[in-house]
Amino acid sequence: MTDPPCPTSAQRPSHLQSAQADFVPSAAAASTAGGSYAQRIEMLRQTKLRQTREKLDVRGFMDMDDHGCIAPPSDFRFEAVSDRDDGGVAGFRACGLNFRRLFEVHPTYVDPADALAGRWMVHLGSYRRMGWPPELPYTHLEAEQELYGIISGIGAGQHFGPDFRIGLQLGWGGLLDKVRRFRALHGPDKEDFYQAEEDVILGIQTWIRRHVDAIREAEARETRPELRANLAEMRAANEWIIENPPRTLREACQWIAWFNMVSRTYNGDGAGDQLDELLRPYYERDIADERIDDEDAIFLIACLLLNDPQYYQIAGPGPDGHDQTSRLSFLILEAAHRMAIPCNLTIRVHDGLDPELFRLGVRRLLEDRKGWPRFSGDKCLTEGFMRNGYPAELARQRIAVGCHWMAIPGREYTINDCVKINCARVFEVAFWEMMEAPGSPSVSDLWRRFQHHLRRAVECTARGIDFHLAHQKENWPEIVLNLLCHGPIERGLDASDGGVEFYNMCIDGSALATVADSFAAVEQRIEREKVLTWETLAGRLRADWEGVEGERTRLMMKRSERYGSGGSLGDAWALRVSELFTRLVKERPTPEGRNLIPGWFSWSSTIPMGKVVGATPNGRKAGAPISHGANPDPGFRKDGAPTAMATAIAAIQPRYGNTAPMQLELDPGLARGEEAQEQIGTLIRTHFDLGGSLMNVNILDAETLRAAHRDPAAYPDLVVRVTGFTAYFASLSPEFRQLVVDRIIEE
Amino acid sequence: MGEPVTGVVTDIQRFSVHDGPGIRTTVFLKGCNLRCWWCHNPETLGAAPELQVWPARCIGCGACAEACESGAHRLTAEGHVFERGLCRTCGRCASACFADSLVWVGRSMTVDEVLAEAMRDAPFYSDGGGVTVSGGEPVCQAEFTRALLAAIRARGVHTAIETNLAWPWERGAGVIAEADFVMFDVKCAGDETHRSGTGAGNAHVLANIRRLAETGAPCIARTPVVPGFNDTPDDIGRIAELLTSLGSLLYYELLPFHPLGEGKYAALGMSSRAEGLRSPTREHMRMLATAARDHGVTVRVAGDPDA
Repeated sequence: MTDPPCPTSAQRPSHLQSAQADFVPSAAAASTAGGSYAQRIEMLRQTKLRQTREKLDVRGFMDMDDHGCIAPPSDFRFEAVSDRDDGGVAGFRACGLNFRRLFEVHPTYVDPADALAGRWMVHLGSYRRMGWPPELPYTHLEAEQELYGIISGIGAGQHFGPDFRIGLQLGWGGLLDKVRRFRALHGPDKEDFYQAEEDVILGIQTWIRRHVDAIREAEARETRPELRANLAEMRAANEWIIENPPRTLREACQWIAWFNMVSRTYNGDGAGDQLDELLRPYYERDIADERIDDEDAIFLIACLLLNDPQYYQIAGPGPDGHDQTSRLSFLILEAAHRMAIPCNLTIRVHDGLDPELFRLGVRRLLEDRKGWPRFSGDKCLTEGFMRNGYPAELARQRIAVGCHWMAIPGREYTINDCVKINCARVFEVAFWEMMEAPGSPSVSDLWRRFQHHLRRAVECTARGIDFHLAHQKENWPEIVLNLLCHGPIERGLDASDGGVEFYNMCIDGSALATVADSFAAVEQRIEREKVLTWETLAGRLRADWEGVEGERTRLMMKRSERYGSGGSLGDAWALRVSELFTRLVKERPTPEGRNLIPGWFSWSSTIPMGKVVGATPNGRKAGAPISHGANPDPGFRKDGAPTAMATAIAAIQPRYGNTAPMQLELDPGLARGEEAQEQIGTLIRTHFDLGGSLMNVNILDAETLRAAHRDPAAYPDLVVRVTGFTAYFASLSPEFRQLVVDRIIEE
Repeated sequence: MGEPVTGVVTDIQRFSVHDGPGIRTTVFLKGCNLRCWWCHNPETLGAAPELQVWPARCIGCGACAEACESGAHRLTAEGHVFERGLCRTCGRCASACFADSLVWVGRSMTVDEVLAEAMRDAPFYSDGGGVTVSGGEPVCQAEFTRALLAAIRARGVHTAIETNLAWPWERGAGVIAEADFVMFDVKCAGDETHRSGTGAGNAHVLANIRRLAETGAPCIARTPVVPGFNDTPDDIGRIAELLTSLGSLLYYELLPFHPLGEGKYAALGMSSRAEGLRSPTREHMRMLATAARDHGVTVRVAGDPDA
């Protein structure tokens, strides 16, 4: 989803004010510190921690990773210029012009310990003084969007992937030549488009040039010989890549970092690429020329990952199916391990994957306990994408470059993760419509009405996608990502407007478990067991389960056969709901003929989506969060078995190339030792063998346990394990909870 | 056709990763022939199904009192009251309690029913995983356990048992024969100490270790290290000595006592002799591991080979 804006300078507290416009964060670091890579990584990490604290001071809270953004100096000011009556910024010309103007003044950042220059500090979007252009209303869609809790994606930026090879081969100078060449070929109606693209490149070059000056100043100040030498290399690399394509690994990493930073600044884009294959030619050339060794390479890559924890894929099949694992894949994992900060690497698991790399990935996940790498399942993703009518070669190139999503770098526009239907709202609409209609309610009637409303929700969403595609260029065009796409520059068309080859538009369903468990609960308690009537249930829902009887009914519904428990009514309903959603999404393209791809994902929005839904028959209270992504709701089984979860989630996959990810929380007691690595490895592989698409694993850390100790009720399915014995954390006596907390934190 | 063989099952736990190799499903049977005073699974001791009462979860709906024909449950101004002496162990109250305040422990299941649940995770057993039958003591339900293990094995799935070996060999030999892997407990080396701690001597245990060696089944031995009972280097060294002749022993595992069961004793209307007992320290466990290693056996502490 779109990131919250970085703080503007006005928000920055006075105690963080700096006399210098340029940041030179490690210059004041311990002057005794040497220049070894280990020491430098430690310095960089400490700087990052300090910057994160500063940002927290400015923002007050931070509920997501920071994407490498740092707070700007307090005296930083930028005012966007507008060509509109309302003073807002929209469309090619204004966006390009303001981009260029911003990077004429955006602060520079040079850390002598870092191999790479630059940090991004602000979102250009936060200066535009407007949202979706009011002259482009979509009132014809709004009623249904609200009725079904649809997140329409209208106005959503980025959320597709760039092909970095385009930029690495041409360099900024080459890209500028390309823009000018095609500008000359097109008529005056493309002037705004090409002017914006030129402005982007000129803005970036200006920013790099200003960094070269800043590095030169830092060199003059630097007394530590190793860091001074580093600054000289940093300067030389940047002097070269202002115009020319990178030649070395250092130059390539710096080039990628510049693109990442400006693309983040423009509209929050965080999509990476197949990082090992992208960097391999530079690494191999540097090694062959004895310019660097592996330690140098690890440090350079660590600095790239520090600059921005971009979503990168490593390993997995190449276009012809052969495994892409290389020495660099291992070095990337090592770099992330040494830097030990948030990181978004995904390993694509397929039959030919190097088993050593897979083992190392699982080891890093369990030992480092920072939630990376994630693992994606090639079988589901490749075979699924092919069902849209694409060849295997193309499907394999659709790689993990977003939080739960895949895209073909530079060739596909998707707005992945930006379009969602709140299926709990759809259920609610169907339920109350049935209760207010004449005749006797039944599960089959409820299902028929749910189908009807879900179809309407899908159709409304599809029309919204067409509306977005028709107008996004007038709002906030993709002038940065266009540069690294095949087509937009050649055609003079924005990526959102027909510039790229493929349009596979995302529609994610949300609240799968909420809906499946609700259907299961009414079927079990009302129709099978006859221990509840529709009218009583409706009364309880209206009263939000008020009173002792209400609470008893709520608990009874909650203890019905849940999705995830295995062979249950809830499992059957989840499958039925997912098949329906998939069928409705795939029934037809959008009215304008764009392909739609279904997935299940919600967890960035579970809380706001839940707020608009009243009490539901699965025992959920009004306003409580809806279920997470494709996950079963917590408490789905007494043992909370990850195998049960992995089986259930593999079964409900829509299988068209987008994901229904499995989010697994593991306690550290399960994650220790080589045997645990084998077991988790088996769990991951088997989930993908069964048809799973993506697995994210969190190892619960000491902080989580402390929080659970303070409020055990908020962690009902947290299981603690001692060898040979498990127990619910919340069921244990306070004393024993303390014991577990102490033990795990101690370890 | 006779009646299908049934067993009383406490719990079936999927993704069990500390009860044998790989990813496993562990079937916990109800009923144990020993009464170890430190036991942290008191709900598996009795052979018959029984009621756990967790008062803190009660919402005061009174459904239990309505369901109970013997008047064991009452709802008073102070809240729910349960008189265990009046309970006829019919289990109706637990079926009516959705707050999990009343939990019925122990369910009669056929081999096929357990098998169906245990085979749900079959795709995850590929890397050496499988099904473990644990207790209580599985040999207390020897016929059921043997039939269950045989049925699992017939599906090509790896089988394991967790046992205290405190039974006449003839009674459990059929169970051992169907297990690909045996995890057994040795609480202490001396007969009298064993009797004082568990209610029974250890002659069967010692004899069965020798019989087990003859079968050649891969096995691990485990000792729960209980302060004041078996926690000196001499105690552990003597156990390790007993294990030296067991050629198929993969390793000897020391498990530090943890006071996990106290709430469960109260829920069953029982009291725990281990109340207030503390876990041995990591340093102490390390010292005991060294004492065992001095006898040439491979040792782990709570799964950790390096401790």
